[in-house]
Amino acid sequence: MTMLSLLREKAVLTLLVLVALGIGIGVAHDRAVESGRSFIVLEAVSLIMKPSASAFHLTAVAAGVTGDAARPRRSILKENAQLRKEVVSLRAKNAELDEIKLENARLRAALDFKQSTKLKMVAVEVIARNESNWFDTAAIDRGRTSGIRKGAAVITSGRWLIGQVLDVDRSSARIIALTDSNSAVGAMVQRSRCNGIIQGQGGDYLTLSYLPKDADVKIGDVVISSGMGRVIPKGLIIGRVVKVVHNKVLGSATALVRPSVRLNQIEQVFVAEPGQSISL
Amino acid sequence: MRYFWPIVTLIAAAGLQGNLPDFISIWGAKPDLIIVVLISYALAADPEFGAVLGFVAGLLQGRYVGLSMGSFIITRTITGFLSGLVTTRLFSENPLVPALSAVWLTVVCEVLFLLGNPQSDLIVVARKIAGECLGNAILTLLVYFTLRNLDIRRKIKLANARL
Repeated sequence: MTMLSLLREKAVLTLLVLVALGIGIGVAHDRAVESGRSFIVLEAVSLIMKPSASAFHLTAVAAGVTGDAARPRRSILKENAQLRKEVVSLRAKNAELDEIKLENARLRAALDFKQSTKLKMVAVEVIARNESNWFDTAAIDRGRTSGIRKGAAVITSGRWLIGQVLDVDRSSARIIALTDSNSAVGAMVQRSRCNGIIQGQGGDYLTLSYLPKDADVKIGDVVISSGMGRVIPKGLIIGRVVKVVHNKVLGSATALVRPSVRLNQIEQVFVAEPGQSISL
Repeated sequence: MRYFWPIVTLIAAAGLQGNLPDFISIWGAKPDLIIVVLISYALAADPEFGAVLGFVAGLLQGRYVGLSMGSFIITRTITGFLSGLVTTRLFSENPLVPALSAVWLTVVCEVLFLLGNPQSDLIVVARKIAGECLGNAILTLLVYFTLRNLDIRRKIKLANARL
């Protein structure tokens, strides 16, 4: 069968037309995501899909099987015991921090610093997550009409940064988790204020890259958002350092960070307006 | 009308995929319900039908994920087309046909997808593809024969109505 006769077959022709159309839509989608503009075809697709995702989400919530809720009892009991221990130590630390906070407020007042502890946020529900095994993304039930903007920080009630808004429709949006390999956010070590970029690896950990070679980073250090670029608010907790690698050849250091929360552990999140910061 | 129920099933599968609990995963990968539905319908049809359904499947999945929309559409369209070809080449009443087809079609689909979206850890990639293949094969077997039974019942109903 020659190439020309193969092309004459209706099915092959349909395939070629659809692949070409797919390339076109893919390019248009990427441009729309980059510019933050809406694309009518995709808005329509989102509108059709939202009821299905919401219905299954509500069913999953009612059945109690969302995320990692359906786990063996033994693992839950073990985690519970660990958390109880953690609560005791955190209570002690909290009391200490309250003191520091008061002292900080007094010093800020003395220096006439602007207080910026309140973030403007929108509460949203995660209606679908991890649609593909290769990406760590999720869909949320609010969109442009609720004030959600592309690039905005997605955080939990404990002010832990989970990710960013990837693209927005009229009534829904998609978020990308910090753990996704396409994600990169400005971050710093809370203790030493060393700046770097936190990047996803597509797995359970994050890497804090572009640190100076003599960076003061230790295992157990808390990593927070740096607020660079004024998109992600400064001071949101990202995770803890579990490993530090100093590269003498490149003259830089990299830290492996365990994220505080994972996308599959949450149902409700908050989307913060860009350009804010919180003092810690 | 030929595409109506398959597309409705795909939309439902896409909604369910995003709410699958974490314990339904094999070697770190969840079964891809959209691919399962696509293969199940396309196996019982022709390449043209498979390609069109694959296009819709890719559009839905790409929209949910929010990344690599073009890759999703192209790989699912090709997978649908190839699934349609299986019907004309093999006897599809054999239960091994849908299960084995799901395995090789998932491999083709994911390898094509990863050509456009390379991943750094090849061992993790291989493990995930293997897990997804296994999950897809089991589910395709169930979905394919459920759809076939429904189709047979519908045809009997139509024939009875004509009589």
